Amino acid sequence: MESLFLDIAQTLTGWLQSLGLSAVWADFILLIIQFACVAGIVTINVIILIWLERKVSGFIQLRLGPNRLGPWGAFQTIADAIKLLTKEDIIPTRTDKWIFRTAPLFFITVAMMLYLVIPMGDGMQIVDLNIGVFYFISLASLSTIALLMAGWSSNNKWSLLGAMRSVAQMISYEIPLTFSLLGVIMIAGSLRLSDIVAAQSNIWFIVFQPVAFITYFIAATAELNRGPFDMPEAEQELTAGAYTEYTGMRWALFFLAEYTNLVAVSAMASTMFLGGWQGPWLPSWLWIIIKTYIIMFVFMWIKWTFPRIRMDHLMSFSWKVLLPVSLANIVVTGVGIYVFKWMGWC
Amino acid sequence: MQISMLAPEIEIALLGLLLLVLGLLLPHKGRGIMGTVTFLGLVIALLLSAAGFGQEEALFNGVYQADSYGSFFKLLFILAGLLVVLSGSAYIQRLGRRANEFYSFLVFALLGMVVMAAAGELITLYIGLELMTISFYILTAYLLNNELSVEAGLKYLILGAISSAVLLFGISLVYAVSGTTVISEIAGHMQFQPAMVAGIILMIAGFAFKLSLVPFHMWAPDIYQGAPIPVTAFLAVGSKAAAFAAFVRVFMLALPLPQFEWGLVLAVLAACTIILGNLVALVQTDIKRLLAYSSIAQAGYILVGMVAGNEYGLKGVLFYAMLYVFSNLGAFAVATAVEVETGSTSIEAFKALGKRSPMLAAIMTVCLLSLAGIPPLAGFVGKFYLFSGAIGAGYLWLAFVGLLMSMVSVYYYLMVAKAMYIGTNDDMTPIKPDTSTRVALWICLAATVLIGVYPAPLSALAQTAIQLF
Amino acid sequence: MNLSDLVFIVTALITVTAAVGVVGFKNIVHSALSLVLSFLGVAALYFQLQAGFLGLVQILVYAGAVSVLIIFAIMLVMDKDPDESNRSHAKQKYWGGLIALLVTLGLGAAIGSTIWPQSSGSLPEDSVGALATLLLGDYVVAFEVAALLLLVAVVGAIILAKGAGEHD
Repeated sequence: MESLFLDIAQTLTGWLQSLGLSAVWADFILLIIQFACVAGIVTINVIILIWLERKVSGFIQLRLGPNRLGPWGAFQTIADAIKLLTKEDIIPTRTDKWIFRTAPLFFITVAMMLYLVIPMGDGMQIVDLNIGVFYFISLASLSTIALLMAGWSSNNKWSLLGAMRSVAQMISYEIPLTFSLLGVIMIAGSLRLSDIVAAQSNIWFIVFQPVAFITYFIAATAELNRGPFDMPEAEQELTAGAYTEYTGMRWALFFLAEYTNLVAVSAMASTMFLGGWQGPWLPSWLWIIIKTYIIMFVFMWIKWTFPRIRMDHLMSFSWKVLLPVSLANIVVTGVGIYVFKWMGWC
Repeated sequence: MQISMLAPEIEIALLGLLLLVLGLLLPHKGRGIMGTVTFLGLVIALLLSAAGFGQEEALFNGVYQADSYGSFFKLLFILAGLLVVLSGSAYIQRLGRRANEFYSFLVFALLGMVVMAAAGELITLYIGLELMTISFYILTAYLLNNELSVEAGLKYLILGAISSAVLLFGISLVYAVSGTTVISEIAGHMQFQPAMVAGIILMIAGFAFKLSLVPFHMWAPDIYQGAPIPVTAFLAVGSKAAAFAAFVRVFMLALPLPQFEWGLVLAVLAACTIILGNLVALVQTDIKRLLAYSSIAQAGYILVGMVAGNEYGLKGVLFYAMLYVFSNLGAFAVATAVEVETGSTSIEAFKALGKRSPMLAAIMTVCLLSLAGIPPLAGFVGKFYLFSGAIGAGYLWLAFVGLLMSMVSVYYYLMVAKAMYIGTNDDMTPIKPDTSTRVALWICLAATVLIGVYPAPLSALAQTAIQLF
Repeated sequence: MNLSDLVFIVTALITVTAAVGVVGFKNIVHSALSLVLSFLGVAALYFQLQAGFLGLVQILVYAGAVSVLIIFAIMLVMDKDPDESNRSHAKQKYWGGLIALLVTLGLGAAIGSTIWPQSSGSLPEDSVGALATLLLGDYVVAFEVAALLLLVAVVGAIILAKGAGEHD
C-alpha cells in the first residue's frame, strides 16, 4: 500500500516513454496529470467537506444536519453542486465586467497552486522546492487581491465593505502566520518541506513549538476568513461580503477555493507541526490525510463554537497580541537553539 | 574585523531608537528632556567619531569603510545635527506631542548620512541615502496644518523617489558591466562600454538631483521654504554634504578621471549651478528661499573642487563642506530665532534686527559674508582652495565664473544686512533667543571667524581625509 | 530562438504591457491591478533567471502586500467616478510619452550595443543559504539600516496620518 501512488506514477512514466516520448516530455505530461489529479481530488474532497461541516455544525448545535438524501444525507452536497452548475450565470449591469469575471478564476488558481509543494506522502510531492515554505506563504498572500477584485468589481457596498474587511484582516494576520512558521524553520534549518518532515522523524515540532502552533492556528483561521473571524462575510450585516453579487458557477468557484485553502492550510499545519506523513503502520499518504482531517475538524469545531469577534478587536488582537507573541517565540527559539548547541544536545 | 569600528553608527542608531521609546514612555511633562537626551547622545557620537579618526580599515571585504574620509564627514554631520538641535529646540517644542519623534527622525536622517559617507559599496550607499531621504520626507511635511509644508513634503517625496530610481538604474548598469558593486573594485573591472556610459550619466543625474544642481534644482526652493526651518537647515547642510561625500567617493575611486573623463560634464553643471543659483537669489524676498538659492550656488562652488579632482580641489571640497556647516547653520539659527519670535521668514521680518537684537544681526552678517567669501572669514579660505584647485586642473574659465558670481552674491547677502541695519520696523521689541540657541550661535560665529583666521588645523584634517584618493 | 528565449519574450511583453497599462488606464483601480500583473511578470523573470527566492519575495512583498495596500488606499480616498480617476492631461501625455520613448531608445541603444561580460561562476547549491550568509555577513550594515528605514517609514506614516487633526 505504501508505494501505491508512486507505483502508478512509475508505470505511467514507463508507458509514456514506451510510446516514444523523451524523458522530459514524459515528466511534463506526468506533471499535468498530477496537477489534474490534485484539482480533481480537491473538488471531490470539497463535497465531502461541506457535508462534514454541515454535520459537525448540526452535531454541535444539537440538530441533525442534512439527513434526507442518501445515507446520513451524504448526497445532499452532490445535489447542491448540480444545482449550482445548472444555475443561470448573472452578471449585474453596473459591475466592472472584466474584473468581476477574472476574480473567481484568480482565487481558485492561487488556491490550487498551493498544493505544488505540500508533501502528500513519502516522496509524494509534485515539486520539492528548496524554498517550499516560502512559496506557500507568498502564494497565499496573493489570494487577498482576488477578494479585493471581487469586492470592488461588484459595485455593491456590502461587497466592498466585505473585501476591505477581509484585506485588512488577511494582511494583518499574514505577519504572525509567517512568524509562527519561522520558529519551525529555525529548528529544521531548512525551507524545504521534505527536510522539515524528515527533521520530525523522532519528535514532532509541536512539542518544541507549542506557541507557534497556536499562533499559526489562530492566524490561519483569520486568513481563511472562517469563524470566529468571519467578519468579511458576516451574513447578518453584509449578506455575503465580497461574494454577494456572485451566482451559480462563479460563486461555487469561490466556495471551492475557500475549502481548498482550508485543506491546504491544514495540510501545512500537519506538515510543519505534526510530523507530516510520518507515522507507524499505516501508509504515509493515509497518515497525512488523517492528520489533515483532524485539524480540519478542529477548525470546524471552533467555527461553530465561538461567536464572531468585533472588527476592531480582531485587528488589535493581531497587532497587539499575536504579533508580539510570535516575535517573542522567534527570540526564545533562537536562544533555545543556541543553548541546545552549547549543551551539545544536537 | 572589529565591531568597535562601527561604534559611532551603532551609537546613533541606538540613540534614535531610545528617543522613540522615551517619547512613548515618558509622561507629558518629562518630555522636555528629549532635546537634552538628543544633545548628549550626539556629543557621545561626536567623541566616538573623533576617536575613530585616523583609522584606515575596510570592513566586510570593502563593503563598509572605516577611514578618515568617512570620519571627517561623520564629524561634519554630527556637528551639523548638534547645531540644528541646539538652535531648533525652541522651534521644535512648538510641535507639541509630535516633538519627540521629530528628534528621532533627525537622528535617523543623521544615521543615513553617516552610512552614505562611510559606505564602500553602492547598495549600502543607496540604503543610507534612502534612510536619510525618507526621514527628510517625513520631517518636511511635519507642519501638518501648514499647506506649504505638506505640499513641500509631497513634492520632495515624488521627486526624491524619481531621483532615487534614476540613481539606482545607473548603479544597476554599472554593476552589470563591471560585475561588482564594491566601489574600490569597480575601477579594476572598468570597461568602456555604452551601457557603462549610460550608467554613469544616470548616476550623475541621480546625484545632481540630491545636490540640487542646475538643471535638477527645481525642487529645492519650494521644499526649503515649506519645511520646518530646522529641517531646512539640516537639509541644506547635512543632506548636501552627504551627497557630496558619496559622490566624491564613487567618482574618484570607481571611475577615476584618467580612465573616464567626466570632468567636463560636471564643470558645465557646476557653472550653470553657480550662475543660476546666484542670479535667482537676487530677487528673493523670503529668507528661506534666498538661502535655498544661495545653497544651490554653494553646491556649485563645492562641485568646482570635485571637477578639479586634484589635491587642492578635493581638500577644498571637504574644507568648504565643513565651514559651510557653520556659516549656513549660523544664518539658519538666526532665521529660526526670528521665526520663533515673529512667525515670519520674509526679509521684512528682519528689518531693524540690528536694533532689536544686535547679536543676532551681527552673527547673521558675519555668516552671510562668509558665504559670500569675504576675507578674513572662513568662506574666503574655502573658495581659495576650490578655485586654485580648478585653476591647477586647467579650468580657468570655471574659476573665473565662480569668482564673478561670488561678487554678485555679495549683493544679495548685503541686501539682508541692509534690511537689518537700515530698515525700520513697527515692532521694536527686543528679540531674546533662548540659551541653547545662543550657544549654537556663538559656536557658529566662533568657528566662522576662527577657520578664516587660522585655517591650518581644519586644512590638516581635510588633508588627512583625502589621503584615500 | 529556443524555448527559454520564447518564455522570456512572452513574460517581458506581459510585464511591459501591464506597466504601460498602469499609466494608460483611465480607471485607477484598473491601473493598480495592472501593476499587480506587472509585478507578477517581474517575478516570473526572476524565476527564469533561477532567482527563485527573489521571485517569491517579489510576489509576497510587491504583488501580495504593496499593491494590496495601494488598492486599499485608493478605495479609502476615492470619491469620484472611477472611470475618471486616472485621467492625464493631453499635454502631459504627449510630453511624457515622448520622454519615455527617448529614454527607452537611448538606453535601449546603449544596452543593445554593449558587449556584456559573462559570469563564469555557477549557481551555489544552496542559493538561499548563500544569500543569507551575504545579507548577515558582508552586507549586514545595509541589512540593519534597511530595518531602521522601515521603522522610520512606519512611524512617519502613522505620525503624518494621525497628526493632521491635532493643532500645532
